[in-house]
Amino acid sequence: MKDAPALAVENLTVRFEGQQRPAIEGVSFTLAEGQIAILIGPNGSGKSTLLRAVLGLVPFEGDVKVFGKPVREAYRQLGYVPQRLPFDLTLPLTVREAVRMSLQGARGGRVEATFQHFTEILGIAPLLDTPLGSLSGGQLKRALIARAMVTNPSLLLLDEPEAEIDIGGEQTLYELLGRLASHHHLAILVCSHELELVYRYAHQVLCLNRRLLCAGPPAEVLTAGAIAGLYGPTTTLYRHAHGAPPR
Amino acid sequence: MLAYPFMQRALAAGLLVGAVTSVLGVFVVLRRSAFFGDAIAHASLAGVALGVVTGLPPLPLAAGVAVGIGVSLHRLERVSRLSLDTLLGFVLPFFMAIGVLVLSLSPGFQPELLSYLFGSILAVSWPGLAAVAGISVAVAVMLAVVGRRLVFATFDPDGAQVAGIGVARLLTVYHVLLALMVVASLSIVGIVLVNALLVIPAATAKLRARSLGQMFVLAPLLGVGSVLLGLFGSYWLDVPSGPAIVVVAGLFFLAAWAARASATLRRRPAQTGKGL
Repeated sequence: MKDAPALAVENLTVRFEGQQRPAIEGVSFTLAEGQIAILIGPNGSGKSTLLRAVLGLVPFEGDVKVFGKPVREAYRQLGYVPQRLPFDLTLPLTVREAVRMSLQGARGGRVEATFQHFTEILGIAPLLDTPLGSLSGGQLKRALIARAMVTNPSLLLLDEPEAEIDIGGEQTLYELLGRLASHHHLAILVCSHELELVYRYAHQVLCLNRRLLCAGPPAEVLTAGAIAGLYGPTTTLYRHAHGAPPR
Repeated sequence: MLAYPFMQRALAAGLLVGAVTSVLGVFVVLRRSAFFGDAIAHASLAGVALGVVTGLPPLPLAAGVAVGIGVSLHRLERVSRLSLDTLLGFVLPFFMAIGVLVLSLSPGFQPELLSYLFGSILAVSWPGLAAVAGISVAVAVMLAVVGRRLVFATFDPDGAQVAGIGVARLLTVYHVLLALMVVASLSIVGIVLVNALLVIPAATAKLRARSLGQMFVLAPLLGVGSVLLGLFGSYWLDVPSGPAIVVVAGLFFLAAWAARASATLRRRPAQTGKGL
């Protein structure tokens, strides 16, 4: 369905076995093409669980539609960048092999052009023959984004992409995500703890603490009261005077 | 030496098992599941013992036990909420103890048992070779079909699931292939040494390879090389073939490790800058 939003989540509830309270309850929101939505909330608030439900990795109640289709039918339109991979860093896996892994042996001119395009714009083309285990945190994250992007997804989900990256690297990474959203009409859903980055790069902020407490543009949502309600009274947001993020 | 039919059979069985087991061994090393092969091999003693005592062919019974464990392990892991290595810690001694108890029902010394414990590649019969060849070719074909998906599911199980790969079913297939290959290797190196053929060539390949693709090429070459040198060496030195094959594989590993250690010592500290 062309007019359907990239992601429509309706009354999403996730319950884990043996836990009385749902991990997330009654969450509803939509995400349009070319937009970045950032999920914020304290540890244990259900951010990663929400991502995993959208990806179909955990059973849920409610409705999740990707471009109007149930998630199980839309897996080709999904790209996923996990916070970390459980692989052995000493293995001789090259960046090229890791990125091509998601292509599952697909070849052809268009596939190769997409591979080349994303490895170049993500800056990992010179690293393709480097062992994945020897990359820095930022390089590894860009390689994982390239791996998700080479299948040409329409919806990209990232779980705390700034984890294990230094401050300068975080900003570069979010600038890249901004460019992917605007140039490729990609819808992006991210979990993050970095409120300043959220303020600069999100089109939509989703405040989660088991339930969706607030949703909207960062300037409207990230108020002192909302942040204190979400993280506690000692947390504040420092806004730099270096202008609005690229949209 | 190759004029003897028993050597021809031994060579054919050894090369097939050496090549396919080593490729499967790459997945064992990637998945850090070296204990799995060992547990399956030792647990298959229950099937071997049943065969020895009842007079039925031991290898199909061992295959039944091994595949049964392979099929049920992943499900058991999810249902019991115990880790795979903990479950294997139960499987290995439990089924091996059953094997020993069953064997105790048959009085006297069982020479056949020794050949299953330490392998008897020179005693492989034509039907035995046919069974080994059938299993090896079937496992190789299946690996060619599911190999890429298995690599994906190994490095990123969630990502593979999102990409539409049925990871749970794939892991069950992998465990069954591993169980079948372990049983096929019993006649070559035996229960005690089978894990060596599974792990050592792949571990050696890991030490030398610069990419995963190279690891998949080097491992079977090392497996086949170990079988050839071990088999011929055991013939000329008049020593048991199974342990000779394992010792050769071990020497390859030590040589690769020494070469890597020496290269690391020679190399200057890298002055490469990292950053985003």
